[in-house]
Amino acid sequence: MTTVEEQLFMTEKEELISGSEAVAIACALADVDVITAYPIRPYDTVMQYVSQLKANGAFDCDFIVAESEHSQFEIVKHASSVGARTFCGSSGVGWFYAFEAIAVTAGLRLPVVAMVGNRALDDPGAFGVEHNDALAVRDLGWMLYWVATAQEALDMALMAWRIAEDPRAFLPMALSCDGSFLTHSQAIVNVPTQEQVNKFLPGYERGQLQLHPDNPITVAPQVNEDWLMEIRRQSNEAMSRTPGVIKEVYEEFKQVFGRGDPSPFLEEYMMDDDPDIVLMGMGTLALPVRVAIRRMREQGKKVGFVRLKFFRPFATEEVQEALGGAKAVAVIDRDYSFGSPSSGGVLFNEVRAALYPLDNRPHVVNFIAGLGGREVRVRDVEDMVDITQKAIDTGKVELECNWIGVRE
Amino acid sequence: MTLVRDLPQVRGVKNIPIQEGFTSGHRTCQGCESALTMRLMIKAAGPRTIVVGSTGCMYVANTTYYSTPWVVPWMHTQLGSSGAAATGTAAGLASMMRKGKMKDEPINVIAFCGDGGGVDMGLAGISAALQHEEYNLLILCYDNESYANTDIQVSGSSPWGANSTFSPPGKVHRIMNRRWKKNTAPMLAAGHPSCRYVATACASYGLDFTNKIRRALTIGGPTFIHVIDPCPKGWDYDPKYSHELGMLAVETGLWVQYEIADGELTLSGPSRAIQSGVRSRKPVQEYLQRQGRFAHLNEEDLEFFQSRVDESWDEWWLPGVVPFKRPDEE
Amino acid sequence: MSTVAVEVVYRGIFQKTLARNIVRSIVFAARKEGKYGTAFGRYGDSPERNGIPAKQFAIVADDPEELEENLAVYEAQEVDVTINVDDTMCKGIESWAWYGLQPINALTKTGGTLIVTSRQDADALIEDIHQKDQPYNLSIMTSIPSFSGLWVYKDDHTDVRILGALAKVCPQLVSLESMVEAIQDQGWDDLKVRSAERSYDRTTSRPVEPGEGNQEEPFSFDLPGWTTMEEGIVIRGIEQGGGFRGGEEGYQPVRNSVFKKYSTRSMRPIVNFDTCIKCTLCWLQCPDTCFDVTPDGLYDANLESCCGCGVCEAVCPVADCVTMINEAEFNDNDSQYEMWQKDKDDYTQWMTSLIEKQKQVDRTHGFHHVGGYAEEIAEVAED
Repeated sequence: MTTVEEQLFMTEKEELISGSEAVAIACALADVDVITAYPIRPYDTVMQYVSQLKANGAFDCDFIVAESEHSQFEIVKHASSVGARTFCGSSGVGWFYAFEAIAVTAGLRLPVVAMVGNRALDDPGAFGVEHNDALAVRDLGWMLYWVATAQEALDMALMAWRIAEDPRAFLPMALSCDGSFLTHSQAIVNVPTQEQVNKFLPGYERGQLQLHPDNPITVAPQVNEDWLMEIRRQSNEAMSRTPGVIKEVYEEFKQVFGRGDPSPFLEEYMMDDDPDIVLMGMGTLALPVRVAIRRMREQGKKVGFVRLKFFRPFATEEVQEALGGAKAVAVIDRDYSFGSPSSGGVLFNEVRAALYPLDNRPHVVNFIAGLGGREVRVRDVEDMVDITQKAIDTGKVELECNWIGVRE
Repeated sequence: MTLVRDLPQVRGVKNIPIQEGFTSGHRTCQGCESALTMRLMIKAAGPRTIVVGSTGCMYVANTTYYSTPWVVPWMHTQLGSSGAAATGTAAGLASMMRKGKMKDEPINVIAFCGDGGGVDMGLAGISAALQHEEYNLLILCYDNESYANTDIQVSGSSPWGANSTFSPPGKVHRIMNRRWKKNTAPMLAAGHPSCRYVATACASYGLDFTNKIRRALTIGGPTFIHVIDPCPKGWDYDPKYSHELGMLAVETGLWVQYEIADGELTLSGPSRAIQSGVRSRKPVQEYLQRQGRFAHLNEEDLEFFQSRVDESWDEWWLPGVVPFKRPDEE
Repeated sequence: MSTVAVEVVYRGIFQKTLARNIVRSIVFAARKEGKYGTAFGRYGDSPERNGIPAKQFAIVADDPEELEENLAVYEAQEVDVTINVDDTMCKGIESWAWYGLQPINALTKTGGTLIVTSRQDADALIEDIHQKDQPYNLSIMTSIPSFSGLWVYKDDHTDVRILGALAKVCPQLVSLESMVEAIQDQGWDDLKVRSAERSYDRTTSRPVEPGEGNQEEPFSFDLPGWTTMEEGIVIRGIEQGGGFRGGEEGYQPVRNSVFKKYSTRSMRPIVNFDTCIKCTLCWLQCPDTCFDVTPDGLYDANLESCCGCGVCEAVCPVADCVTMINEAEFNDNDSQYEMWQKDKDDYTQWMTSLIEKQKQVDRTHGFHHVGGYAEEIAEVAED
């Protein structure tokens, strides 16, 4: 009789699964040691699948249902310190409830991998997607990746441990998966074999930083102003090393599994002819954007799309190269940042800052869309392009931040 | 379930292990009883131990970057995280040992917290940790009855009436802290049938404390020990009296020492003698008047304090332990 | 342009209110003369620890801009007057947050003054105080150190006596008249005013020549940079100790090599090895792990790590076996056990004389309930 594990991972096969399920399968394939759960929609679907996999003997892990998100993230933080491979996750205000633990995990250089099922922040309570939850950790030393498909969720999860646990990084990584679109809809996913994964993903070795009686160290003593800048400088250095690690890992992944984009940082769509207008965004809104671009291309409009995959580390040079040739860039934010420069979204201001050093800066126009899980329609994308075209035509951006699809 | 280290009970104070796991170089106050608690805790547990410490004096004053007093591996955890830290450390070890990723051996996991971290902020996390029968972990709450590291603020474990920077006696309100100290250990013992060992102790009774640490670690599973630590700074007394204040807390019946092992309650030391009537309780005044934090209490306050302590011995079902009134005996 | 900076070096918690009263009164007094000032405690000393040396500053300038220039630095680089309110800190101070032993006169500027509350004479103090390359003045305010707890202040007039002395040694700061006005403004009674005036009249100082004083190089520590610090905020634990002074028998823990803590001590234990019954209590109850276990089962206080709390004395069941002695009586941290082994009679004689002397003076960290200091203070006020 074959075990469930063998049924699942002996042969490469296609499954009809959600992004959450894909990440859960990645947990099993990666032989994660400690996983912590706490319920909140929509990320918790991943933990439902993890618990099923464990219950059915698909893999062996310590699966702990914590009494709060704070404990959930503290538990994996400490498990990681003794050398265990870890996974956890959250959504919306749950992610914020864990914020203290999330901050220190990065400070301690612990390679925890988490899934954020992007969700609007309370109040008012809403289950739909907004990116503000995951984005809140952007300054802390977490690597942040925005997933667009279930396949990408599985692939990037496997890469996440490899990247995070690389001693050059030793930084935590979050996989942002748009609520509903990834957490609750299913797609055909190619599930690799255990053998392939074993070839790609070595065990987590914390080495001289492992907390163990054989390596009696003191971790994170109190510091004062004599030390903190040096410690922050080290973290900054580690984060600056991650693009190199990511490229290396991505290339190897493509070799072992035979799929992937040319760049780990950006997905470029219809960009070969240096279009005048480039749309930019993160996550699953890639879908309506691609459809809209195809329609507009049929109408003869030169429009392209760049999907930013890694928000942290932010691939400054790649972004400059991809967008620098355009006349105007339209940044779509599924987030907000009240009172920020131009009252724009988070991604908008980051992209605009990245383009600032260029000699020929394109116009940058911002669109806030799809908040709370509202649909970003093909028509909305076309509107964005029209507004952006106006900036090109008039030579100036009339309104830097435009809310799209909102009732007056 | 992972292996448990068998630590025999120490017979006689002279047999307390000589090896240190916590040495000098911490920056605590003169006469810091909590530092002594740390030292005796790790003496009892021995070198195959991982200690995780939540924020508080025993973090900030104890381990100041680039040097450490710890011989054993030690890691900081957040103020309310002693339960999660213990669970995470134990789970990481258990998982890797079970899967053959790490040598299988008994490693003690001790997470400590102060009263702010344990009795207040981290109570839910400790409660959750005590439900995990499969993990061997000990949570030690060192209770100096205030948020001492942040400059002495009142906590849920501060005694009634105590002066603190958040409960200063004023011209209109003499008593700013009107809360009675939480009865933490019995609450945890009663609420967690999966927890096989809960005890209260004090480093002034070094041997008793050592043996309670050892019993907790040997029984295994999740366990909890609550220790009272006289704090010369916040309680305001000459540092040389730390030991004596610890003893007075017990002798006045204010701090009751006991252990609850597999559901069986045993009072220890003077608390036992008081319970069995072998000795009588000293007046609480002897303890209160030694401390500056009670300097503003008047006669009426002292009487009130005494009456509450009397009540806990005379009217509670389990004297000094469980605050249910004794059922009518017919 | 003239700015005057004053630092008060004090024992954490025990002298916190005292130091605060001094620096605040300086600023109030300066205000009487139309000057601007600021008073602050060094943030790194907070939260203060019982006995661990800490600092507060008062900076006074002619106008706000000049004051601002002096506030642009965290800690004054030099001060006109250093006030040391416990003479045992003349041996140097190690704060809890920073590394190394700072000489008590480190910040005292050329020609500035170090005021010390002490019952020792100048020669005895200078023996302890690290030598400087520049001349400065030493002024002694005859007094036992004023210690009290966190909640109840021992108002024994030490604060105003210091202020009186300060007006004398640093007339460019403020006049005695302004100082008196500041004292009255704070609602303190005439008795305190008289104490300040008396102190002003009695205060003298003597010059200390370059090179005069303790020749010892204070221990220091070079901070490593981010490229050499271990990543992950990790430092190596202390090694497990063993043996005694290199031998197999006994036990000596390895100790923190960069933080020593002995400058926290205002009293130290002295052990009578002949009457010791080896009960273990001093060793067992020491929060600072400072007793080495000798091969013959005695306990030798390691005086680099002893912070002088006195618990060992309190728990010792034998009379005069462990006795806390004023730290000012000692000039080194040498092992008492080795002294005793070398010449037991000599040691006994030395120890006995120290114990006898200690019995003549009342030197405690002090604690009293409200009003409990009254008798003591009455005596001081009479003086």
